[in-house]
Amino acid sequence: MSKRTSRIVWYAGLVFIVVLALAPLVWMLSTSLKPEREIISTGIRWIPESPTIEHFTEIFTKRPMTQWMFNSLFTATAATILVLVLDTLAGYAFARLRFRGRGVLFIIILSMLFVPIQITIIPLFILFTRLGLTDTYWALILPVGANVTGVFLMRQFFLSIPAELEEAARVDGASTLRILVSIILPLARPALTAVAILTFLFTWNSFLWPLIVTRSDSVRTLPVGIAQFLSLRPGMVQGQMSIGQSMAGAVAAALPPIIVFIVLQRYIIEGISRTGLKG
Amino acid sequence: MRITPSAAHRGEATAAQATKSLGHHSLTPYLFILPFLVFFVLFRFGPSLAGLGIAFTNWQAVRPPQFVGFANFQAMLRDPLFGAAFTNTIFFVAITVPALIIISLGLAIFLNRAIRGRSIGRLAVFMPYVVMSTVVGVVWTWILDKDFGLMNAYLNIFGIQDVPWLVSESTALFGIIITTVWWTVGYNVVLFLAGLQDIPGELYEAARIDGARAWAQFRFVTLPMLAPTTFLVVMLTVINSFQVFDQAYVMTGGGPGTSTLTLVQYIYTTSFQFQKFGYGSAIAMILFVLLVLVAFIQIRAYRQGYEGVE
Repeated sequence: MSKRTSRIVWYAGLVFIVVLALAPLVWMLSTSLKPEREIISTGIRWIPESPTIEHFTEIFTKRPMTQWMFNSLFTATAATILVLVLDTLAGYAFARLRFRGRGVLFIIILSMLFVPIQITIIPLFILFTRLGLTDTYWALILPVGANVTGVFLMRQFFLSIPAELEEAARVDGASTLRILVSIILPLARPALTAVAILTFLFTWNSFLWPLIVTRSDSVRTLPVGIAQFLSLRPGMVQGQMSIGQSMAGAVAAALPPIIVFIVLQRYIIEGISRTGLKG
Repeated sequence: MRITPSAAHRGEATAAQATKSLGHHSLTPYLFILPFLVFFVLFRFGPSLAGLGIAFTNWQAVRPPQFVGFANFQAMLRDPLFGAAFTNTIFFVAITVPALIIISLGLAIFLNRAIRGRSIGRLAVFMPYVVMSTVVGVVWTWILDKDFGLMNAYLNIFGIQDVPWLVSESTALFGIIITTVWWTVGYNVVLFLAGLQDIPGELYEAARIDGARAWAQFRFVTLPMLAPTTFLVVMLTVINSFQVFDQAYVMTGGGPGTSTLTLVQYIYTTSFQFQKFGYGSAIAMILFVLLVLVAFIQIRAYRQGYEGVE
């Protein structure tokens, strides 16, 4: 095969892959802009004949979409801040500070990576019921604080920073916390970004626990709202949404993360390669 | 994050000196660990142990739990719903994992070529993963619609009759499998691409000089060099596949019949719709044992593969 034909084959393959990956999302958008009678018609029409935004106005007036979005955004942000604080402190201690039981403790923490969260949700539900905290933001935020991956990532990153930097500051009499905040953290920005993005995505997308622990729209997160009210599953009576409205809701929920991803893709991809491999 | 052994070693050594200067009875390390530890014990470690305990009780909603030994596990053997959930989950894993590994490895190798436009390919392939699971479920329920779905419309063009997808017991699970592969393949591609970029180009050059063609290069350079990455990707994919829930919940809710009932779906219904905490925890234990078992087998296989090479 000559260089040129191999190039053409490569580009054809690329187009095929891109189309396959994006077609369902484009179809979602296309359906959301079609009037209902155009949706229920056989034949494939990618561009709506008479586009309308009626489904969007209805979905936002009939269902508390904005409230769900706010709930998701708020809890994911709060959980991310919580995780950054907890995991920076703990990761630094595991990387640089000597204390009794460090090795054993670290192994116990890591071993929890193998325990599926489905084992913990029943006790967690009982715990939050006893505390009277079901159906509150607390129930959505606090359990994320036990995130194990973040501690591991921060520790690995701190181990890779040369210790001479801290040594000099210590000789000058700076406290451990002072050293961490003013010398180490500015260097740790890539690790902090990775942990922040991963935690945010994890909380934003999390479904099972919020499904169990939320009941009211003032707390319900976006994934749960979508699943309970926009599902087109046969026999799902709760929703009673038309296909157009479901797709409009899906577009509204999908668009913000897609935009954020396009803007931050370098960091997100780096974060994932890091957790997966280099961590 | 690349940690050279020497850097890590240096870190350890100076940390030791630092602690000496701080004195051995310093409270500081404990204060650093404590906040995380409180959360960890309350919301992860504690509940994990409690889950193990609850699996051996008969705990139904408000009534206090009673210790029942292995009764829950014996009940599972006679429970046709558990049987269905178990079989469906194994079937789902057995198809989804190989599909996700082969497709993502192929895509990663394809997108690893230094040609303009590859970044668009990477962006597109990863895009579905950014969309939340329940939205994916809603959209694919529509795409797989028997009468008006996009999938059947295109299949018709190739002369294939309408497939009933989610409304038939024999095809519903395949609908969820296709959805899952589309949704998560990009995550694996990112991991494989990172692994591929770590393979030194000289190895391929040497192989070419020795006369190795594309397949031989793949077989004798790419695959062995990629082994650690593959191990990790397989592990993550297996763990995630065993826990399949969100898409299935939105698309079929376990139906029609019990054809798409999965273990996590069954844990959810038993515990939170029928309030049987004991039985639900026992099923969760089975899931845990399955995961540990598979991880153990994989680690053994990986080690043996390495010893074979050496």
